[in-house]
Amino acid sequence: MTTHSNVIDVPDPAPGSYNENRIAGKLLQSQSLHLREALIQHLGDVVAVLTIDPRSLKTEGEVSDYIHKATAILHTHASQPKGK
Amino acid sequence: MAPAGLDNLKHIVVLMMENRSFDHMLGGLSLIMENGAKKYPKINGLTGNESNPDTQGKVITVQPNAKFQGQLDPDPDHHFPGVDLQIFGGVPPGPGRVGNMQGFVKDYFTQTNDVNRSHNIMSYFTADKLPVLTTLATQFAVFNGWFSSIPGPTICNRAFAHYGTSFGQVGMDLFYLLDPIPSIYERLLQAGRTAKIYYYDQQSSTMEIVNLLKNQPQIFGGFNQFLTDCQKNTLPEYSLIEPCYNDHPGPGGGEILASDQHPDHNVQEGEKFIATVYNAIRTNPAIWESTVLLIVYDEHGGIYDHVVPPVCTSDGYCAKAAETGTGENFNFDRLGVRVPAVLVSPYIPKGTVVPGTEDAANGRIFEHASIPATVTGFFLHGDAKRTEREKAAKSFLDLLSGPKRPDTDIPFFKLRGH
Repeated sequence: MTTHSNVIDVPDPAPGSYNENRIAGKLLQSQSLHLREALIQHLGDVVAVLTIDPRSLKTEGEVSDYIHKATAILHTHASQPKGK
Repeated sequence: MAPAGLDNLKHIVVLMMENRSFDHMLGGLSLIMENGAKKYPKINGLTGNESNPDTQGKVITVQPNAKFQGQLDPDPDHHFPGVDLQIFGGVPPGPGRVGNMQGFVKDYFTQTNDVNRSHNIMSYFTADKLPVLTTLATQFAVFNGWFSSIPGPTICNRAFAHYGTSFGQVGMDLFYLLDPIPSIYERLLQAGRTAKIYYYDQQSSTMEIVNLLKNQPQIFGGFNQFLTDCQKNTLPEYSLIEPCYNDHPGPGGGEILASDQHPDHNVQEGEKFIATVYNAIRTNPAIWESTVLLIVYDEHGGIYDHVVPPVCTSDGYCAKAAETGTGENFNFDRLGVRVPAVLVSPYIPKGTVVPGTEDAANGRIFEHASIPATVTGFFLHGDAKRTEREKAAKSFLDLLSGPKRPDTDIPFFKLRGH
């Protein structure tokens, strides 16, 4: 598929480039704040379902609505990609 | 009859990197000579004479001394008031004001408080330092006129790639979809098409789309899944890839470097990441001939570019003076600083240069709203609720105009340890 002439070498970064102690910039700080906001919203959804007492649900319609909400939250939580 | 490239096109992939200007990354291509003439005469890069005054009035010319890391620390300013200074050179807002790109060094001094270090903002890479980006730019198509969507930072600029608008935001705040324009991913899914955002891993995650993360978790995948999807022919119709945004330990030990090229992250790691994405597409013949890959940067990161950003169609929003920090409202009617943008497909004629503002007759202006505009146009025939800005944005698929190039004419990147 490739010939010698069209293969291009890609150098590695110099040793020591890694620095997990680098001060996080504004972008990463914003990302963290936005994720916190999303967690708060997510928590609100969870609390709304938890305030419902399943023992108070009488009809199949009421129960199915509860199951739907709970399953959606759990599914959302479980479906996050594992990443690399 | 449509060109073969469009007939075969099934996948559009966008890799959005971070915070580097066109001249910083690709401007050096214009200075390469071959047989006594410019090797790439159509690329609107540097002449070597471009300059900015520093805070002491000294003229600082562009220099081919950009470093992979350690040169742009502290992070150059790229928030709205800072970019305003960079573009207008300190001329205060008012009628008739014209950009001159003379305020980059002065603005970087506000970060460094060091006159000599403020000159680093005029640095650029020679082509040999960036073999991946410059090879793709010269072997496929490079845009002379792709601009960031807003003269401001990451979050609002990336929003244009997802929504064709930032909903009035010019900064880094979380935005809420009060008057929702559906994202390009939602548009595609609602139409029964496929779309995915591949973020690098959970330590890096996604950048600005908390609304999507909350409401549309099914559109996300990790970068390993992108590699698998390329191998197994399961790539969605539209994909956006996010690089790694931070240095962090790998699973079970090891070191994962940020690959986004945001200062002060290592630029060579970003080169490796671009090469990895390209190779994944290139290696599977079925994916290679049915995919177009756009490599683009979200904004210039405060780094010098010589091209004055042009006006554009407004998206209908207005950021008030208190939000812009310049004392003047912003109507989203002019673009941000120019960024590198490269389009890759075997159907793009070798050495394509898309003219920009330097060509009054044939120049074409692109910005990040061109991404949802192109995807919506191709997969949904334009059928979606979207802003006037996006409707006016140029599509780039006409560049797939040639016959399929032979494999012997196509580069391949060899990564160390692979």
